[in-house]
Amino acid sequence: MIEILTQEKSIYIQIKEMIENDILRDILLEEERVSSTNELAKLYAINPATAAKGVNLLVDEGILYKKRGIGMFVTTGAKGKIMEKRKKHFYDDYVKSLLAEAVSLGITKEELIAMIEGGED
Amino acid sequence: MSILTGKGITKVYGGNEVLHGIDLELESGKIYGLIGRNGAGKTTLLSILTSHNSATAGTVTFDGEPVWENPKVLEHLCFARELNQMLGVSTTGALKVKEYLRIASVYLPHWNQELADRLIKEFGLEQKKRLNKLSKGMLSMVTIIVALASKAEFTFLDEPVAGLDVVARERFYQLLMEEYTQTGRTFVISTHIIEEAADVFEEVIMVDKGTVLLKENTQDLLDRAYHISGHKDEVEKACSFLETHHEETLGRSKGVTVLLEPGQKLPEGCDISIQKLNLQKVFVALCGEGE
Repeated sequence: MIEILTQEKSIYIQIKEMIENDILRDILLEEERVSSTNELAKLYAINPATAAKGVNLLVDEGILYKKRGIGMFVTTGAKGKIMEKRKKHFYDDYVKSLLAEAVSLGITKEELIAMIEGGED
Repeated sequence: MSILTGKGITKVYGGNEVLHGIDLELESGKIYGLIGRNGAGKTTLLSILTSHNSATAGTVTFDGEPVWENPKVLEHLCFARELNQMLGVSTTGALKVKEYLRIASVYLPHWNQELADRLIKEFGLEQKKRLNKLSKGMLSMVTIIVALASKAEFTFLDEPVAGLDVVARERFYQLLMEEYTQTGRTFVISTHIIEEAADVFEEVIMVDKGTVLLKENTQDLLDRAYHISGHKDEVEKACSFLETHHEETLGRSKGVTVLLEPGQKLPEGCDISIQKLNLQKVFVALCGEGE
């Protein structure tokens, strides 16, 4: 949770994605407690209501769950869920814009595939 | 849960009406940002809400009780005014930091001296210095100390970060969040440095030419604000049913700021660029019109 907030996206979306990234990278483990909205508010100097908005989106998606009086915890299976969700969005978020730029630059399908394969080295 | 309510607040200075019948409701437990251009009436509004200034017409009540010269209500309110170097040789200007804070502690019954002392030390303020010998940034520190140490349920800060360097400003927002998460006190903060404060405001109140232009949850406002640009014809077609502000044209291209109303969606199928806006851009689009 030590990424820097930027202006590109809504703050609560960034809070949500930061927690997701921490789960993907095993910085936050399943069944572990997540920083409270007050802790996030103090760390980033943001309104706790905004931090809560981001955290609640993850609760709605079943990635976090609430233990009454204790705090928010990472659900078992959260990591798999995030990966699945991001894979679903991968085409829209990355491939579409990649193809659009390739078309406007006149890069052929073969050239593009070669670039992707070459990038593995 | 308390509510501070202003109804029809009007203020006339020598025949010149500066506030035009403002209605405003402030709930406890929130941080409000008050933004507006120079001369919009922010300081006058804050001083009337806290009974530091009288309204020409209109009322201010706290849970139904009138605020004006009502000690039972005023103990819950603190107005940390902006101090400026124009204090010069006035009585206030000649006061030492220590004396000024001591006077504040007398007027504010919930004053926490321990917190005041901690902040003086953290900011490195010299207590024996006179106010008129302090820099603009140091005067802002005094304003911040009064506000935080007042422990008042509703605390109003007028330009608390003016003249502070960027490190001190970030520290202020942190101190504010520490105090807020511990106590849930209400803060109303006026500022010209909008973008860095946007994230601490739960709600934003925009004041323009003596009226309240808008009072809305900050994130909700940002979620419905977009900048749309492209070929003039395309932009006009895309935005024909939308509320637009701040139109700019350059040759064949045109840009507008759009505020979506509930139920409205962004235009689809047009060859246009759609970008998100930050609070400062939204403010300029709404309050900078006609220039």
